[in-house]
Amino acid sequence: MNPTAEQIQKINHFSKVPKDMCEKIASVVEIQECKPKDQLLTEGDTGDTMVLVFQGQVEVSKNMMVKTASGIATSRKPIIRLETTDPPPTSDPITEPTVFVVEAPAFGIGEFSLVLDDAIRTAHVHAMTPVKYGILTLEDFSNIVKDNPEIGGSVYFEVAKSAVQNLATASGDISNLTQAFFFALTR
Amino acid sequence: MNDNASPDQFQDPDVSTTELDEVIHANKELYDKLNKLPEIEALEAIAIEEEEDLDRGDKPHPFLVLVEKLKYFYSKNELIRYASWSILLILISTTALTMIEYDMFKESVSGQVGKTFIFGGDEANWLDTFFHTFWWSIVTFTTVGYGDVSPVTHLGKFLTIIIMLLNFGVVTLLGGAVASVLVAKRLTGDDTLDESKFNGHLVIAGWNSYVPSILKLIDANVDATDTVILVNVTDRDIIQRATTGYERLDIHHIPENFTHESVLRKAFLEKAGTFMIIPDNSGLLPHEEPDEDKTVLTCLTAKSISESCNVIAHVLDTETVSHLERANANEIVIPDDHVPHLLAKHVTDPGVPQFFDELILQEEKDKGLQEVKIPKSLNKQSHNKISAFYKFKYNWLLVGYAIRKAGFSLDDQMGESGSPLIRSMIKEQLEGAGVNLTSDEHVVVEINPPDDYKVDEKHSALVLR
Repeated sequence: MNPTAEQIQKINHFSKVPKDMCEKIASVVEIQECKPKDQLLTEGDTGDTMVLVFQGQVEVSKNMMVKTASGIATSRKPIIRLETTDPPPTSDPITEPTVFVVEAPAFGIGEFSLVLDDAIRTAHVHAMTPVKYGILTLEDFSNIVKDNPEIGGSVYFEVAKSAVQNLATASGDISNLTQAFFFALTR
Repeated sequence: MNDNASPDQFQDPDVSTTELDEVIHANKELYDKLNKLPEIEALEAIAIEEEEDLDRGDKPHPFLVLVEKLKYFYSKNELIRYASWSILLILISTTALTMIEYDMFKESVSGQVGKTFIFGGDEANWLDTFFHTFWWSIVTFTTVGYGDVSPVTHLGKFLTIIIMLLNFGVVTLLGGAVASVLVAKRLTGDDTLDESKFNGHLVIAGWNSYVPSILKLIDANVDATDTVILVNVTDRDIIQRATTGYERLDIHHIPENFTHESVLRKAFLEKAGTFMIIPDNSGLLPHEEPDEDKTVLTCLTAKSISESCNVIAHVLDTETVSHLERANANEIVIPDDHVPHLLAKHVTDPGVPQFFDELILQEEKDKGLQEVKIPKSLNKQSHNKISAFYKFKYNWLLVGYAIRKAGFSLDDQMGESGSPLIRSMIKEQLEGAGVNLTSDEHVVVEINPPDDYKVDEKHSALVLR
């Protein structure tokens, strides 16, 4: 089953795209369902697909090297949870939320795949509730943009915005890590 | 530093004396005008008020002090505790026996005392009877038992039996308490200090020939703390000879190894204002060098007792400095650091080394270079105003400021930048590795700043008195 144009428009990246164009995007996306704990994206994989989440909650997490009592170990650290509000998840998340939850009517993950054909997934994404989602491939999206260039501007603007935000956060992280590094060396 | 003018300008021989006179006159006029400013006059009143407030604020009511002392003695001293209960028991038994055997004790006191002084005049009254019964109680309690007076009624005898049996327990406990106090004193070498006396005091760990000079200078400064605890294993006689004759200082000595945590706790390090660690010559022969590792170890121990403890470490070997920095010492003093400067100044600026000698070595009471608190009302004022205040009010020369810089905090420094995940990971990992995320407050100096330099509450004045 394909999503509706309204469902596509609820996703931030496509909010400025006219309804008739959203219908074209909806026509190449198939709604799928997954259970809690199912993995949607895996960190380090390359991919050319964007995941559009229409209903449910997902958790974004990263593998981190940390020092534990038994030595250095890789541990998966949750970064953020994303939850749809329109419609809300069909059930409560599998665990109590201990990380920050961002709510949006619906949302897209892996938007950089709409730009790069071999984008590397920078984090794991797995379902915390039953999730309804669709997959938009770079090839399908490129074909739609080729026929309707006006879609590209607004979508790529949103993708660029999140890229700039990520860059600013990464720059802050580098600055914090540099400070921590010097701080640790001088103690 | 004010670097606007080159020193050569001041040595220009072409400046005419008229010109100089004009400048001096203009400055004098300006000083006179400033002196008459209502702000300066008002400040004088405020400064006096602040001093009075401080004096008032420091002194609690003497009755409260006495109650606190009694409470402290009761809780800390076994002997006092048992003695109080014995006295209470004696008073209760005396009162009970006075009531029950009133007739017998009254008759006895009249018969024995005869016509000598009694409270009741011609006839013994209740006070005489009470005193007589009290005498009986003490005689019984101390197991002396003269037998000059004894209860006659069955009830009186019954009560006396109870009192005598209780007396066994009390006398035994009291005897035990006296013995335990004596043993404890012997074991600790009379070094248990009264904790209530110590707050903001100075603790000096180690002993060398500098200590008497340090104490002399601290004694001369009335604003400095007057309580000092010396911790070292130097011979008591040497310490006693070197620590007598000070006007203000109350000096205590703990003759134990200062690297031990328990010993530093005895010196109430967590409440100390400053902890000074110096090269320790205790028990060394003249050719032996003090062990500087002890200084580092003591600094680490002090910081583990109280992170906020202000540690000043004196070292002879510059290699120890980096270890002390890692141990988080607040100030590190290297003795010969200034010697090359002084030697060079003898060549380049004769008079400057002599000036330092005069300033530092010849410091007298209320003379020399000192750090003083700036009145609160002068907060946010510019340097020239504060300088004028000290000049006119006390005739002191303001040479600069000591500024308490807040310690570096990695948490504050990171703020909200970057991702929360990375921030929390940095904190978690550094804390896990035992790295403290904050560094201590430390003091920096600002010498002769520009006139418009603003002063805040973190500043205190360095004045030449």
